[in-house]
Amino acid sequence: MTKLLEWVFGVLLLGAAWAFVTFDILNMNLPRTYREVAWPMPLYLLVTFGCYSLATVGYRVATFNDCDDAAKELQAQIKEAKEDLRKKGFKF
Amino acid sequence: MLLTHHRNSATCLAKQVKLATVTDQAVGVSLVGFSLLLFTYYSIWVIVLPFVDADHVLHQYFLPREYTVILPGVAALVVLLCIGAFVGVVMLKNHKPKKVD
Repeated sequence: MTKLLEWVFGVLLLGAAWAFVTFDILNMNLPRTYREVAWPMPLYLLVTFGCYSLATVGYRVATFNDCDDAAKELQAQIKEAKEDLRKKGFKF
Repeated sequence: MLLTHHRNSATCLAKQVKLATVTDQAVGVSLVGFSLLLFTYYSIWVIVLPFVDADHVLHQYFLPREYTVILPGVAALVVLLCIGAFVGVVMLKNHKPKKVD
């Protein structure tokens, strides 16, 4: 079984479980508070994923060290590339 | 650039001489703090509040429950609009009319 099939299967299983609880398909008569918590679950997971992405980006921005040597090297390489392309007729 | 390992940044990380600039650190820490705050507020709102009695004082700090759906929906729309506007502006700026012979 491919990874994609595994993920699709897992998502379908979780989706089915959520649908059964939210729409009361099997008439399980769960307590009202549990249904209140269950129905926003997909949206909640989406918001959680968004927060995690934002936190990861923020953390990597804060811990990305300044690289003077690499910056100078990169600027030199950019100049070199521009000269090379200008010789070959590329207009900036 | 942030999420991949460029050759130059690999040599830089090996040295670790300088930290990120103060602005970078401030922006990064504020992003992390904001996302933590948002996550905590939303988690309590969605998961904890239904189990708390209706007359508890905690309820007055949270909006009515309909907004758990409306606010993220509106935020997603706003984000999509901003991205679309940015793409549109960039495309308009770079639009070069084709030459007519």
